[in-house]
Amino acid sequence: MPGLSTSMNIAVQALMADQGALDITSNNIANVNTPGYSRELAVFQEGPPVVEGNVAYGSGVTLAQFQSVRDQLLQLRIYEESGQQSNSQAQLSALNQIQTDFADPSQGVGGALTAFFDSLSQLSTNPTDSSARQQVLTAANSLASAFHQSELALQQVQQQMDQMVPQTVTQINQLTTQIAQLNAQVAEMQGLGQDPGTTQDQRDQLVQQLSQLVNVSVTQSDHGITITTGNGVPLVVAGQNFALQSGAATNGLQGVFAQGQDITSQIQGGTLGGSIQVRDTVIPNLMSQLDTLASQFTASFNSANQAGFDLSGNAGGNFFTPLTSVSGAATSFGVAITDPSQIAASSDGTSGSNGNVTNMLAVRDQQLPEGVTPTQAYANLVLAVGNYGATAQANVTASGASLQQLTDQRGAISGVSLDEESTNMIQYQRAYEAAARVVTTVDAMYSTLLSVGVTK
Amino acid sequence: MRINPNITSDVLSSIYATQQQENTALQELSTGKRVNVPSDDPLAASLMVGNQDQTSRNDQYLQNVDSLNNQMQTADTALASVVAALNQAISLGVQGSTGTISSSQRQQIAQSLQGIQAQIVQLANTEIGGVYLFGGTTSTTTPYEIDSSSASGVQYNGNLGTNQVEVADGLTVQTNLPGSQLFQNANGDVFGSLQQLINALQTGTASDAATATNAVRDAYNSITENRIFYGNVENQLNSTQTFLNQEKVNLSSQENTLVGADITKAATDLTQATTAHDAALAAAAKILPTSLLNYLATPTT
Repeated sequence: MPGLSTSMNIAVQALMADQGALDITSNNIANVNTPGYSRELAVFQEGPPVVEGNVAYGSGVTLAQFQSVRDQLLQLRIYEESGQQSNSQAQLSALNQIQTDFADPSQGVGGALTAFFDSLSQLSTNPTDSSARQQVLTAANSLASAFHQSELALQQVQQQMDQMVPQTVTQINQLTTQIAQLNAQVAEMQGLGQDPGTTQDQRDQLVQQLSQLVNVSVTQSDHGITITTGNGVPLVVAGQNFALQSGAATNGLQGVFAQGQDITSQIQGGTLGGSIQVRDTVIPNLMSQLDTLASQFTASFNSANQAGFDLSGNAGGNFFTPLTSVSGAATSFGVAITDPSQIAASSDGTSGSNGNVTNMLAVRDQQLPEGVTPTQAYANLVLAVGNYGATAQANVTASGASLQQLTDQRGAISGVSLDEESTNMIQYQRAYEAAARVVTTVDAMYSTLLSVGVTK
Repeated sequence: MRINPNITSDVLSSIYATQQQENTALQELSTGKRVNVPSDDPLAASLMVGNQDQTSRNDQYLQNVDSLNNQMQTADTALASVVAALNQAISLGVQGSTGTISSSQRQQIAQSLQGIQAQIVQLANTEIGGVYLFGGTTSTTTPYEIDSSSASGVQYNGNLGTNQVEVADGLTVQTNLPGSQLFQNANGDVFGSLQQLINALQTGTASDAATATNAVRDAYNSITENRIFYGNVENQLNSTQTFLNQEKVNLSSQENTLVGADITKAATDLTQATTAHDAALAAAAKILPTSLLNYLATPTT
C-alpha cells in the first residue's frame, strides 16, 4: 500500500529527471554552433511497478540515458564526398595557376611561334635586310624563352604539389593518432554501456578532416572503427594508429610509404590524392606535350635551315640547338645561331635569294611527326589544360552540391534546433513545476496528518 | 519532418552562388569575352590559338603586300624612265640616220646617246633598301657596269635568279625579273642596240645607223612588253590586299563567335543575378533572426 512518502519519492525522482533533461537541453543549446555536434535526447524511463495484490502502482520516472542522435551511414557518405570535394579542390587550385599561363593565345609558345614565322615571312620580302634577319633571330629567342617559361610554370606547380605531400602526411599522422585515442575511449564507454556521444562526435569530426586529406574507408567493429586508405592500407585499428611516412621515391619526388611500402600511386582521394594526381599525371602529361612540340619543331626547322645557304653562301647549319632527348626538351630548347647572317634564307647560295625561306615557312603548315602542325600542337596543349581545368571545376561544383545536401541531411537528423530545444525547455520546466507542486501538496498532506489529534 | 535547423550554410551557399553569377556576368561585360581562361571553354580556347596565328599571319601578309607594292612601283617607275630614254634614243637614231648631217653632228649625237646609255645603266641599277631590283638574286652586287670592251658596252654582274614571296595562304608572287632577261633578250637588247647605234654613228654609215635604230626600236618594244610584268604583279597585289582585308574581318568575326561575350545576354544575366542575389540576402535577413525564442515571454524574476 503506497503511502505519502512514496508520492514524495516519486515527485523527487521526477524533479531530478526533469532537471537532468534540462541539462541536456542546456548542453544542446550551448553546442548549437559546434561543428560535428550531434544533438542529444533525454530518454525517460518509468520506474518498475510495485505490485500489491491485484494492483500495480507505478514507481515514478528515471532519466535512463542521454542518447545522441546520429546516422552512421550518412556519416560515411559525408566522409566519401568530403574526400572527393577536397581532391577536386586541390586539382582546381593547381590548374587555375597553370591556366593563367595558357589563357592568352597571343602570348606564350603559341604567340611566339606565330611571331617567329611572321618574322620569316617578313624576311622573305627582303632576304638581305639585316634588320629583318635580326628580327627573325630575336623572335627565335623569344620562342625559346616562351618554351622555358611554360615549362617553368608547370615545374613550379609540380614542386608546390610535391611539397604538399610530406606536409599532408604529417597532418594525416596527427589525425590518426588522435582518432586512435578517441576510438579507444569510445570503445571503453560503450563497454560500460554509456553513450559515448561527445567523444564520438569529436572522433567523427576528426575522421571527416582525415577524409579531406586522403580517401579513407571506415568500418565499424566491436572495438570502435577501423580506418584504412581506399586501398586497404590500415591507418587506425581500434586504439592503434599506423603512421604513414613520406620520403624521396625512385622518381625523385616525394612518395608516401606505409610500413616501408610505396603506396603513392594508390592514393586517390582527398587533398593528398589531388596533389599527387596533378603532380604525377596532369603536369607530366602537359610537360610531355610541350617537350614533344619543342623537340619535333627543333628537328623539323633545323632540317629546313640545313636545306639552304646563309648570307655568306655557306650551307645552313642547325638553327636551334639539336635536342638529344624529348624529355626536358622545352627546357633545353635554344637558338644555336648567334649571327643573323647564319639564317639560311637562300636556296642557291646567292645572297639575294629567298628560296629557302619558303622551306622554313612550310614548317608552319607541315605536320610534325606527332601528326599536327606546331600551332595545332600548342592548341592541343591549351585544349588539354582547359579540359583538366573544366573537369576539376565541374567536379568541385558537383561534389560541393552533394556534400551540401548530405550535410543538410545530417543536420536534419543530428543538428540542434533552437525551436525544438525551447519547446523542450518549456516542457521540462512545466513538468518540474508540476512535480514541485506534488511535493508541496504532499507536504500539506503531511501537515494535515500530523495535526490530527493535536489540541489547540 | 525534421529539417536541418542550421540553415546558415544553405543561406551562405546560395548567396555565394548568386554572387558568383554576378561576377561571371560582370567579367563578361567588362572584358567583352566569354572565355577568359581555357577552362571556360576548352575547345574555343584551343581554336583561338589557330585564330590568332591566322590573324597575325594575315597581318604579316598585308605588310608583305605593302612592301612588295613599294618594290614593284619603284621598278615600274625605273622602267618608265628607261622607256622614255629609249624613245629619246630612237629620235636621236632617226636624226643620225639621215645622210645629210655632218660628221661632227653625228659625233654629237653619239655623245648624247652615251649619256642616255649611262642613264639607262643607272636605272638598271635601281635599288631599294640596299637591294638591286634588276640583279636577279645577287641583289647586293651592282648588276650593270659600263664595259667598253664588251659588245653591248656593259657588263651584267647579276644572275638569272628570281624570288617568290607568299602573300596569302598558298599564293606566291614572283617579285623580280633578272636584268639580263629584262634588258637583253632575244626580242631586243637595250644595251647592245644602244652600243650598236653609238658605234654606227661614230664609225659607220647612215644605213648602219638606221639598222641600229631599228634594233633600239626592237629593244623599246621588248621592254615595254616586259614592263607589263610589274603592272600585273601590282594588280595581283592589290586584289590580294582586298582579299586579305576581307579575311581580317572574317577572322575577327570568328574570334568574336569563339570567345566574344554576348553582351545583351551578359547584361540580362547580370540583372538576373543581381535580382537573385538581392532576393537571397533579403530572405536570409528575414529568416535568420527568427526562432521560437522571439515569441516566448521573458521569464519573470
